[in-house]
Amino acid sequence: PIGQTSDELFSSQVHPVLFSAYKTVGFAEGRAGEGFVCIAGVRVAVVGSISPVCRAINISLPQVFDENGKDVTPQPLYQPDPAAVMSKHSKIFASDTSGGTMSDFYSTAYQTTTNASFAGPFTRSVFGSSTVSRGSQSTMESMNEEIEDPSSKRDISISLSDVQVRREEVKELIKEEMLDDVVDRYLIESETLWLLHMPAVSVSVDSEEAVSVKERNNLYMELCKNRMGNDKYVERSMQTFNGAPKTKEVQSEAITMVDAATTWDMYDSFRSAGLGEAALSPDTDKATSASSSRIEMEPFVVPSEDEPDPELVLQSEKFQQDLFVMERIILENIYQPKLAAYRQLPTLEDPDSVPKVVPTVVSRREESSLDEESTLTPALERLWSFSCELTSGHNVSSMAWNKRNPDLLAVGYGQFDFKDQKSGLICCWSLKNPTWPERVFTCESGVTTLDFSASNASQLAVGMHDGSIATYNVESREKTPVIDSSDCAHKHTSPVWQVRWIDHERGASGEDKGETLISVSADGRISKWFLRKGLDCIDLMKLKRTRNEKAKKQVGDKEKKSEALISRQAPGLCFDFHPTDSNIYLAGTEEGHIHKCSCSYNEQFLETYIAHKGPLYRITWSPFCSDVFLSCSSDWTIQLWRQDLFTPVLGFTSTQSAVYDVMWSPKWATVFGAVNEGRVEIWDLGASILDPTIVSLASPGVKLTSLLFATETDCILVGDSDGQVGVYQLKNLTVGEGTQVR
Amino acid sequence: VTVLIHHCILYKKAEVEETLKRIQGQKGVQGIIIVNAEGIPIKTTLDNSSTVQYAGLIHQLVMKARSTVRDIDPQNDLTFLRVRSKKNEIMIAPDKDYFLIVIQNPSD
Repeated sequence: PIGQTSDELFSSQVHPVLFSAYKTVGFAEGRAGEGFVCIAGVRVAVVGSISPVCRAINISLPQVFDENGKDVTPQPLYQPDPAAVMSKHSKIFASDTSGGTMSDFYSTAYQTTTNASFAGPFTRSVFGSSTVSRGSQSTMESMNEEIEDPSSKRDISISLSDVQVRREEVKELIKEEMLDDVVDRYLIESETLWLLHMPAVSVSVDSEEAVSVKERNNLYMELCKNRMGNDKYVERSMQTFNGAPKTKEVQSEAITMVDAATTWDMYDSFRSAGLGEAALSPDTDKATSASSSRIEMEPFVVPSEDEPDPELVLQSEKFQQDLFVMERIILENIYQPKLAAYRQLPTLEDPDSVPKVVPTVVSRREESSLDEESTLTPALERLWSFSCELTSGHNVSSMAWNKRNPDLLAVGYGQFDFKDQKSGLICCWSLKNPTWPERVFTCESGVTTLDFSASNASQLAVGMHDGSIATYNVESREKTPVIDSSDCAHKHTSPVWQVRWIDHERGASGEDKGETLISVSADGRISKWFLRKGLDCIDLMKLKRTRNEKAKKQVGDKEKKSEALISRQAPGLCFDFHPTDSNIYLAGTEEGHIHKCSCSYNEQFLETYIAHKGPLYRITWSPFCSDVFLSCSSDWTIQLWRQDLFTPVLGFTSTQSAVYDVMWSPKWATVFGAVNEGRVEIWDLGASILDPTIVSLASPGVKLTSLLFATETDCILVGDSDGQVGVYQLKNLTVGEGTQVR
Repeated sequence: VTVLIHHCILYKKAEVEETLKRIQGQKGVQGIIIVNAEGIPIKTTLDNSSTVQYAGLIHQLVMKARSTVRDIDPQNDLTFLRVRSKKNEIMIAPDKDYFLIVIQNPSD
């Protein structure tokens, strides 16, 4: 009720109670030491603490005085229009002002009161909704007297009320049928609406007013002239009052900053807005186009998709690819020094690794002199070995480099002996992963030989112990061969001991240009394979048994009693085509004979070289000297031949074990490597022809079975009977650069 | 056909498991974490608290790195991230659906 003194009001504690609009009082938190009176002007829900100073709607308005006694009573900034505060619209108003305008309303300090009795405990007050009564209007009006200016809020409130009023109008519903009706429209000229009227400041000389205007002008000029010293006109100065400025606090919602205008974000929205991929112009253009597409950005906000099932994620192609790459990277970390040594790059010391404990320095000093020499002696340093659990226990029978990718190695696993044959295995290893092969193919019978094609780099030909030949495509993940010789009528009936892809420059019959697959097998045939409705072969040569002429003469009468031969064919074990003349090739048999043959004649040998006393395991032409070739056999010897001499030029024996494999070094003309059961030997003919230059022993219990030189680096690969392919680096092998052989 | 597809999925799953096992067994690998796009770990070999910590921190780092790469050239995108520190190396393969994180100490 009006007239209630402040004291009475404040004696009643603050309750969240319906207050009458004009007299809502409560406490508000404020600066310590001052009391504040809050007003609930018009129905308002107040949110949170009210720090501002409010005005008590008493007739006796409290006033604020500062230290000097000046009246600094803040003027009311907001006067709600009484018309706007009608109970009918109260609800709407409340919702609008829940946090917004009314809290601002409260945030404006009206007046403070210095009533010390209010410095009691501060509590928050919650204002309930209330209706405005007539009485409030009168107080409102009294407040209105002190308004400075109607604030913008008042305008808003007025406009709001206007809007509300308009909303109440009932609109005529437009029905469907009414749309088709023909409606008459009448056009009437409306009254003229004056929007702007600027009266002219000049008058034409001819018009009627001209005379009077001229007179008036003259009078004015005379007046101005007389003004100077005239008593009627005195100069005076004026001062206008400037209103005292007051700082006002405003609260607004926090400004959210979104980091959305990155270059790539604009690019993404540009593309997704379908504005075409043609105009991928630099940033300046994007800025202008982004503004136009920004309007469309709203619908392109990425909707939260359903999270893909975790299982699907794990099986996706991309994930497998990532795993693959990750494995390689991890291995690269582990094997980096070894791979660097392989590639002949300087190995970098890991700066953070803890150095391993170095053996005592004392002994080092003693051996320092020896060290000098030992660092210079040629040696094989083991880098790593290709092996995994799949291959353990399998005998490595052959290895071949891929012709196009020198980091890819195919290894065939199969037993040599007839007994304990198990299923064969082919693994394609990559240098980047020495712990797991890239491809694994299992075969029914042991693999004895394999070779990569040069023209079709992913084609791998494999010869097996049961005589079948198959080709695999290593690029695909298929586990089965592309083609198999099992349907061929002329297939080999005995183990295939060597296959080779040979490139014929000029075909025998003029038609087979390109690569063909040649194989030799223990049934005594050298066959050429080609694709004609399936794999088919023709025989290049049948290896007949040849008797030693000299022995024949000696045991002349024993001829009849000679052993009955099981077959007239001699099992072929190896062959090699001439590096330059693809018509000529050498074939080695189980008897120990080397036959020089030609593709043109398939009945006769051109030459026969007899020296070995046991089966020949390998024949290889020298890549540098086209007349020279090497042969190794189980009679513990390696023989060096020249094409035109029928006795070997040089023979090499080092141990009493069969030499399984021999290979010329692709880099040095006088170097070749040999593998017998227990050791790897590197011979340098330029240094010594009696002893191998480097000897490396195999681990006990393991037999070394095959050898391969790396084409571009100084490394060799040695396969053993336990399924491991060791990679060794040739160190300190100083070889003369000459390519001639004495 | 459905049987074939099912078989293929199983086979793929086995391959993935095998590869993960191999990676875990490599020298120096301390842990593998696979996190989905929301930051929730799908698979991990570390304990829970470490996993959550790694997932959260690395997610922010990858976002920043990807933003950097694409800011320079929006047609480019981040494919791999390696963070080499004194004690170990963190390798991250990011994708829009997942992160693959491997922590390795190569000199172990």
